[in-house]
Amino acid sequence: MVRKRLPFTNRVRELREAHGGMTQAELGDLIGVTRQTIAAIEKDRYSPSLESAFRISRVFGVELEEVFRWCDS
Amino acid sequence: MTFNEKSAWIMLAALLVSGLSYAGAVANLSADLGQLAPPSVPLLIKFTVVLILISIVGHALIAALRPGDTNDRLDEREQRVHDKAGNWSGIVLGFGVIAALVNYLAFGNADLLFYGVFASLFVAQLAEYVLQLAMTKLAS
Repeated sequence: MVRKRLPFTNRVRELREAHGGMTQAELGDLIGVTRQTIAAIEKDRYSPSLESAFRISRVFGVELEEVFRWCDS
Repeated sequence: MTFNEKSAWIMLAALLVSGLSYAGAVANLSADLGQLAPPSVPLLIKFTVVLILISIVGHALIAALRPGDTNDRLDEREQRVHDKAGNWSGIVLGFGVIAALVNYLAFGNADLLFYGVFASLFVAQLAEYVLQLAMTKLAS
């Protein structure tokens, strides 16, 4: 089964590690999703809801576009 | 693996064990009778009890191993997977029931109708758990 490629990428892992080495589980708890969902987001395998995307950016104190970037190619 | 994934595995195992043992018992009964055995309430009760027992024991085990996970609600990704799997399960059930009904119209065998509907329920539920696990794997 071929996975559909998401049209955007993200810096969640980079920002998470820059925030005192926050774990996936910790970030998941902060935004209300499982560790597995955070892992899937970081691997570009899952497209988070708008609410979760905003929650992630608020956790890191940055704008949404600094976390998620649309890929034109 | 989340609690919900473990739960799906347990229910899949419970369904397979109880379903296959039920099918085996019906097959043996039918072989003894020389024709399809009519649905048997004691066999159905046994199937239900086996299913419930495996489910309870399995869930108690995973809850005992990670008690903190048991109150986890489905997160957004899991909810989407559950909704999609449930949708497909409904389609499988629909096809199965229609096939059983058409079979009854063609052959008029009420016992076969019962088994057809029962099998559709079983297969639809199996499909739901298999799809939940497969879609969770694909989305991770």
